[in-house]
Amino acid sequence: MTWRKLLRHETILALLSVLALIVLASQSDKFFTVDNLLNQGRLMTEVGLIAIIMTFVIITGGIDLSVGSILGLVAILLGVFWKNLGLPLPIAIGLGLLVGTLAGLINGIIITRFRVPPLIATLGTLALYRGIAEGISEARSVRGYPDWFFVLGQGQFLGVPVQLWILGAVTLVAAIILGMTVWGRGVYAVGHNETAARYSGLQVDRIKLAIYSASGFAAALAAVIFVSRVSTTRSDMGTGIELDAITAVVLGGTSIFGGRGTIIGTVLGLILIQALKNGLSLAGIKSDGTIVLIGAVLILTILLSNLFHRNGNR
Amino acid sequence: MTVLLELRGVSKTFAGNRVLKDVDFDVRPGEVHALMGENGAGKSTLIKIISGVHAPDDGGIIRVAGTEYKAMTSRTAARGGIATVYQELLLFPELSVAENIFLGHAPRTPLGSLDWSLMRRRGRQLLDSLDSHDLDVDAKVGTLSVANRQRVEIAKALSQNARVLIMDEPTAALADADVRRLMVVVKRLRERGVGIIYVSHKLPEVFELADRVTVLRDGALIGTNPIAEVTEQSLVAMMVGRDIAQLFPKPVPNIGEVVLRVKGLSFGDRVRNISFELRRGEILGIAGLVGSGRTELALTVFGITPATAGTIELDGRTISITSPRQARDLGIAYVPEDRGLQGLVRPMSIAQNVSMAALHRVTNGLFMRFAAEISLAAEAIARLGIRTRGPEQIVGQLSGGNQQKVVLGKWLATNPRILIMDEPTRGIDVGAKSEIHALMGKLAQEGMAIVMISSELPEVLGMADRVLVMNGGTSVATIDRANASPETVGAAMTLAGQSVEMAQ
Repeated sequence: MTWRKLLRHETILALLSVLALIVLASQSDKFFTVDNLLNQGRLMTEVGLIAIIMTFVIITGGIDLSVGSILGLVAILLGVFWKNLGLPLPIAIGLGLLVGTLAGLINGIIITRFRVPPLIATLGTLALYRGIAEGISEARSVRGYPDWFFVLGQGQFLGVPVQLWILGAVTLVAAIILGMTVWGRGVYAVGHNETAARYSGLQVDRIKLAIYSASGFAAALAAVIFVSRVSTTRSDMGTGIELDAITAVVLGGTSIFGGRGTIIGTVLGLILIQALKNGLSLAGIKSDGTIVLIGAVLILTILLSNLFHRNGNR
Repeated sequence: MTVLLELRGVSKTFAGNRVLKDVDFDVRPGEVHALMGENGAGKSTLIKIISGVHAPDDGGIIRVAGTEYKAMTSRTAARGGIATVYQELLLFPELSVAENIFLGHAPRTPLGSLDWSLMRRRGRQLLDSLDSHDLDVDAKVGTLSVANRQRVEIAKALSQNARVLIMDEPTAALADADVRRLMVVVKRLRERGVGIIYVSHKLPEVFELADRVTVLRDGALIGTNPIAEVTEQSLVAMMVGRDIAQLFPKPVPNIGEVVLRVKGLSFGDRVRNISFELRRGEILGIAGLVGSGRTELALTVFGITPATAGTIELDGRTISITSPRQARDLGIAYVPEDRGLQGLVRPMSIAQNVSMAALHRVTNGLFMRFAAEISLAAEAIARLGIRTRGPEQIVGQLSGGNQQKVVLGKWLATNPRILIMDEPTRGIDVGAKSEIHALMGKLAQEGMAIVMISSELPEVLGMADRVLVMNGGTSVATIDRANASPETVGAAMTLAGQSVEMAQ
């Protein structure tokens, strides 16, 4: 029963994606080329990494608004660790990932220990982390990274952008964890009914801490790839990326109230959004028009899915 | 003497379930009419019909001050002078006392604006007439104690010229001193000719205040008597009924060694210094009114609210339980009071719910074994007789009784040695009820140690080998099955004033 419901949403989404691809391909002959599609995959990776973990966050009934700020903070720290402190770049990267994970852990602690609603907790740290990033950077950017570093954001492996491999691996692992492990089952249970989950002996707080930490880690990983892709570090990096990620997750059928959602759905949501953005700009439509259309698609998909969902229940 | 309010042959059906059957009821001016019965007896439904919240089934008649109605509405109730003071007080915490009293019918000046000084003056008079000289009409209601808020509610009712005042368990949340003040107020209202419907389970209050008492059981009227014609024993017997032995076919118990020994267990001031022993194969009943600390005791043993004092011994080994997970690992299971909130994840399937506390049984260490999960659920469905389309059915679609069996199945899947059941049959139909009772008896016979918390006296008396009676967070009596009767257990449950003294 649950599976049928979930598949239904994802089927709609898949059909919609195919439809969008066909329409967009007919609008511009540059759209449906291997080069363009791979390049779009490259552009999708940062949002994608964040959205994959955001799926877990939203399934537990939470939200993480601070991911964009964590991305900015880690990007700046990467520059500071490497250039100002003179650490070797691999160590700077490692430290950056650590800081991002800690930032996520702090979110988790605020949410689980002090019972602050996730929306408010991460709205607070959204401002906090971005403020720290801007304080550290003082509006200066860092450039001049060594060539090997750009492999991550600009290179290819077996003809596919390197970061797309990373996104693929993260997606696969996340899908397996969520769909096939005891831990993933706990995530769904917490999202549907936290009290019953706790009364059943599930370690609700630990699950949440792990998820928010992972969310911070994903944002930090996205930061490293972002810096490598654009070859520079600035403190306003990742501003607003949380909304793109949340849009993809929700478009993918994850319930904002918690309990329902899949990784496959999120991936489809990501692909549909990226295809629309790219295809429409190739077809000569201005970016404000694209945003309007993405908003409309989001609402339409949810409406359709609710419609079927309701019919299925009666 | 005229009658203020009269009901003849009133019934009410909810979703095919007749919760009120052909009830007659009346209230005279200047009397306190106590309405008694167990949880689910139909008291609340009756009150809601009188105050116009629910419409009764066709066929009954409601007569208010000479006018006949088929059904009341909140408007006709207000016009007929019927006011209700609910258990959960319906006031606006950010408004002042005077504003709350006169909300919706505030006095106006000739220009049409609110007459604040008159409103404050009349508010003052009303409160003075309730002996509440210390209550400030300008205070924000949110800053008041529960007892004072209740007085504001009563003043509000009087400001609308209430002639029939319904009080739904008015003393449930009050301390002893406030209970006495409330009684003074109630007596004063009676002297002024107000008819009061007083809903309560507390026998001492009823005997002090009531002129007549009406008892409901399972929605049916058992009787209306002048208070002089009843005794505590006869009232409890009327509330509980007598056919306990036939309702609960209990197998002969096979009681073994002590499994759980609790000594001086406390959690804050809600569970105070509780000691008991639980043996293999025994059903220990915990009786007490709502708020007596029964559930809090269970939550403490189960690790949701870890104990602040005292010890728990399992098989003679002292342990401390600080989380439900730990309790589960020690072989303790808890079937909670609130099925929908604490017991089940309703949007998930039977299989997913049954495995939830025993996920270690359906994993190979890394991945879920979905086939094992399904067969675990199939086992529970067969063992407990859950009526369902199959293990993949969503739990929320099942009836209450079958949902409760799923909760039970979830905990039996952990192979517990100690099973705590909190209100195991609340809100489920008679058939499922007796199936659960039969199962409980069988589990005990197989050697499980069971703690059963229940508000239903017949259930406690019918199932338990021993009864621990709680009152005000402490245990006031432990009664063997042989000596447990509605009179002994009921008296220990309801003797509010004495419990504290006995414990001290």
